[in-house]
Amino acid sequence: MVNPVLLIVVPLALAFAVPLFGLISKKIVKFLPVVALLFNLIVSVMLLPKVMEQPIHVFIGGFSPPFCINLVAGPIGILFSVLIALVGLLVSVYALGYIKEGAIEKYHILYLLLITGATGVVLTGDIFNLFVFFEILCISSYSLVAYLGNKAGIESAVKYLLQGALGSSLILLGIGLLYAKYGTLNMADLAGNIHSIKSFSNFLPLVLLVTGLGVEAAIFPLNAWLPDAHSSAPSSISAILSGIAIEVGLYAVVRVVFTIFGASSFLVFLLFLGVLTLLIGEMSAFSQNNIKRMFAYSSIGQIGLILFALSIATPDGVSAGFFQLISHTLAKALLFLAVGYMIYRTGSMDISSLEGMGKKMPYTSLAFTIGVLSLVGMPPFIGFPSKLMIIRAALLKQETLFTVLVVLVLIATVIEGAYFFRVIQAIYFRGEKSEKKREGAPLSALIPLFIFVGLIVVIGVYPKLVTNFLDSTASELLNRLDYIKGVIG
Amino acid sequence: MNFLSQYIYYIGAFGLFFIGLYIMLTKKNLIKVIIGLDILDTGVFLFLIAIGYTSGGTAPIFSKSVTETGKMVDPVPQALVLTGIVIGVSVLALALALAIRLYGHYGTLNLRKIKEQRW
Repeated sequence: MVNPVLLIVVPLALAFAVPLFGLISKKIVKFLPVVALLFNLIVSVMLLPKVMEQPIHVFIGGFSPPFCINLVAGPIGILFSVLIALVGLLVSVYALGYIKEGAIEKYHILYLLLITGATGVVLTGDIFNLFVFFEILCISSYSLVAYLGNKAGIESAVKYLLQGALGSSLILLGIGLLYAKYGTLNMADLAGNIHSIKSFSNFLPLVLLVTGLGVEAAIFPLNAWLPDAHSSAPSSISAILSGIAIEVGLYAVVRVVFTIFGASSFLVFLLFLGVLTLLIGEMSAFSQNNIKRMFAYSSIGQIGLILFALSIATPDGVSAGFFQLISHTLAKALLFLAVGYMIYRTGSMDISSLEGMGKKMPYTSLAFTIGVLSLVGMPPFIGFPSKLMIIRAALLKQETLFTVLVVLVLIATVIEGAYFFRVIQAIYFRGEKSEKKREGAPLSALIPLFIFVGLIVVIGVYPKLVTNFLDSTASELLNRLDYIKGVIG
Repeated sequence: MNFLSQYIYYIGAFGLFFIGLYIMLTKKNLIKVIIGLDILDTGVFLFLIAIGYTSGGTAPIFSKSVTETGKMVDPVPQALVLTGIVIGVSVLALALALAIRLYGHYGTLNLRKIKEQRW
């Protein structure tokens, strides 16, 4: 059996080996992320069937919990790790051809550190360790947003950094309060001690942690940084930020609320926040003329939808939420990668500059269109079964509140469809027909794009491939006691 | 008076935290905002240290003179603070580096004047 700790160690070690390999040859540096992520993907896929039956617990340093830092490779952790490794691998293949200028070595170091941080957050079972990995993720994404060094990039990185750093301080304060009261940092041990959030001394850390982690997850009042950061980063980084970073933030929020605090009375609040985030995100996206900004706002909306689904807190709802998370990750990473080369060709992010792209870059446009259709929720793509599951889970609750919220979710989907079809119309049906010069994206970009397309179509046609795994993720999140028993014994 | 001497570190910690927050929210100059962030961080660190502090305690090493745990300070918060400080320093360094680049682009650090990225 492979030790899950390697999922964190290998990218971290290779990140610091990048400058050493750079001494040998500048050309091999860019293949290191591919190697690391290929390793991660293989290991996580190998672990996936095992952890579905029994979570793997790793106790670092040979102490027994709660005295050691432990890793919990449960269904959620490994599912996320597969997703991170898969998207990370495809994006790093794309970056082979896409990242040509600037400090290339530093790009790959930071990229590997970002992956390390994300994988660490989803695997760790210690709340302070979670904070440290979260900071690795955040600091590398601040610097990657500023990678191009242009006006927009620097300005949005400063914005992102100030809000993110404030959020991290709140997280640390929350962790401090928890330690002061319970004298432990182990998540399972904390969960075993916390029985209700009615007392103020439990409620305050919950609020601080949710607020701090919510900044990275871009839940509604805390999302001001996201449209700027995601639109001014290089497209490969936008794909990772939209596909991985905010989802990992959301994972941390959900883990804190469900597992550590077991705060079922707090979920109604998250339910409304999710729908509000969805509506605000989609409505802001509707009025955008900048294509990457439109996608960034759409990411905010999708995060709201996932939060809504997870907050339903039934097995159906949680699996639907994770399914929607997978579907959003695949579709949004595909869209950012596809649009990256379109922007590269035209030099502008305006939607009007995409006119006639259907002729100029036929393959990229096809991939782009499939991504958009999947995000809106058209069959036979992955977005359709995931959205259907969310609506079904909400209606199964059979409460008026949920019916009203489902109506709002459907309205948001209509808005989403409206602005995305405007883009498709621009790509295929506008612009001069005389232009015949075809200049497609290079192969290193088309391969990842079409792997994403393949996954979106295959899972869309045959959702059982993924839904089989989702039931055990739902039970991991909803059964606190099993989680506690698994770690403490 | 007893209350004050008992909770003085907590009062100081939250005082620093809110002073930092106030600076971050109201100041226009980016450097001042970064200083506010630093003060806020310091408040959090002081709070963490105060959790584990016992008056007159020593380092948590079992030796012939010290055998009771009651006379030792809790080492865990100190480890947390050490990590926290390292993270805080790196964020601060990155923030200052970005501030230099921002000044290069705009010729000003006034955040009210730097608002190209808006809606």
